[in-house]
Amino acid sequence: MGLVPEKVGAWLSQSGPENDVVISTRVRLARNIEDVPFPGRMKPGDAELVLETIRWAFGEIGYLNKGQFFEDGMLTEPDGQYFVERHLASPDFIASKNRKGLFVSSDERVSVMVNEEDHLRVQALAAGLDFTTAFGLASELDEQLEKQLTYAYSEEFGFLTACPTNLGTGMRISVFLHLPALVLTREIDKVLRGAYAVGLVVRGIYGEGSETKGNLFQISNQRTLGQSEAEIIEVLMNVSRQIIDYERKAREYLMHNLRVEIEDKVFRSLGILRGARIISSEEATNLLATVRLGVVLGIINELNVSEVSQLLVLIRPANLQVLLGEKLSAVERDERRATFIRQKLVK
Amino acid sequence: MRLCDLCGKREAALTVRQLDKEGKATELAICAECARKRGFTSVEDLKQNAHEILAELKAKIGEKDKEVVCPSCKMSFADFKKLGRLGCAECYRTFAEQLRPLVRRLHSSVQHVGKSPQQGRKRAQERLEVERLRAELEQAIRDEDYERAASLRDRLKRAGAGE
Repeated sequence: MGLVPEKVGAWLSQSGPENDVVISTRVRLARNIEDVPFPGRMKPGDAELVLETIRWAFGEIGYLNKGQFFEDGMLTEPDGQYFVERHLASPDFIASKNRKGLFVSSDERVSVMVNEEDHLRVQALAAGLDFTTAFGLASELDEQLEKQLTYAYSEEFGFLTACPTNLGTGMRISVFLHLPALVLTREIDKVLRGAYAVGLVVRGIYGEGSETKGNLFQISNQRTLGQSEAEIIEVLMNVSRQIIDYERKAREYLMHNLRVEIEDKVFRSLGILRGARIISSEEATNLLATVRLGVVLGIINELNVSEVSQLLVLIRPANLQVLLGEKLSAVERDERRATFIRQKLVK
Repeated sequence: MRLCDLCGKREAALTVRQLDKEGKATELAICAECARKRGFTSVEDLKQNAHEILAELKAKIGEKDKEVVCPSCKMSFADFKKLGRLGCAECYRTFAEQLRPLVRRLHSSVQHVGKSPQQGRKRAQERLEVERLRAELEQAIRDEDYERAASLRDRLKRAGAGE
């Protein structure tokens, strides 16, 4: 499969700023090559042409040895889910029938989808709240590619994208947050309404249409045109900082007033994870998220944050199977997942 | 100020409201000039024949939607409305007028700011240079400064060749 199945990339395995609340930061740029129809309207041969052109451009800028290029077979169901679970590709990309390609850098911080909804989706991830790294990585690759390729661009509409919702900067940025205390104190709706009011979108951590599991949320910009990249980042930065502040205050409140209840919740979660013989991905996600909270609050000392964060990805169905090197039925998976988690958490 | 629905240029002189059988109202604004051209001399005339003008108007709108197809990928605006995605970069030039209200609704703006491709910027500068020279040339001709006009014409040719 390539990549390292036992370890999720630098954006999750390293610690980052505000790691107690923010899991990671993502920057995604949509770009298209001029004179070739967008992926939704390609003629036979166009997809191949785009793929070859981009592979050539990667070679020209000396990027091919910085990671791996995956193609077609590995990017369709069920194998493609592996990349979705690691946040390296979108569900739509894996579902699409076009000829497609995915570049993933060795540290998994940079990935590029070729022939998703647009010809290019350049993405960079960073641990914690860190737009300097995420935007820096995405922007640098974008600028290098732009020297080799002629992007579809207009002075008025900016970078031209298949969907008008991505026009202008073509930039969609997201912050992945863990907000258990705001959920417990029922303050979450107020906070999320505030985010909507300033034009941000809130979703579950696996993107459009996904539910919010384990109190994990993804907050992104809606507008991409009429604001510069720096302005878009500033808005999301400010809102994220406010939410982080609220979440920390709510945690303080809980620890001050309901300490025993919180400790009970955390240790019960850890207890189930350590004792279970059968566990679904959803249950494990919810329990691991609570354990993560216990770690950052100092209730659990024998585990560290990145270990727990990585488990959140490794226990997902496709990752688990790659890690164990076997194709498993749903029933078998739940059993093997429980064993795997026990091995990781019982020390 | 409401503009005439037919010519879209002049200020409407009057509006006619027509109710259909279900009681749905259609409002039509028309300017004095367009009314005269169609042989309507009184308000009564207009009221009685409003359906004719409405039919003309509907045909016009229908034609526009049907007619315009992206020269590059053959997408029509009706296709876009159905799919929600444009077909290619050329679509944005073809449908710029129809897209602007949508883009404004989505982004509260229709003017990109922020990063632009270096090559794009270079092309934009070249275009601006050509426009600037053209304006100067016109001025020189108006001023009957033919020597300057000749030199500007040569520079314009060079700038144009570099495009």
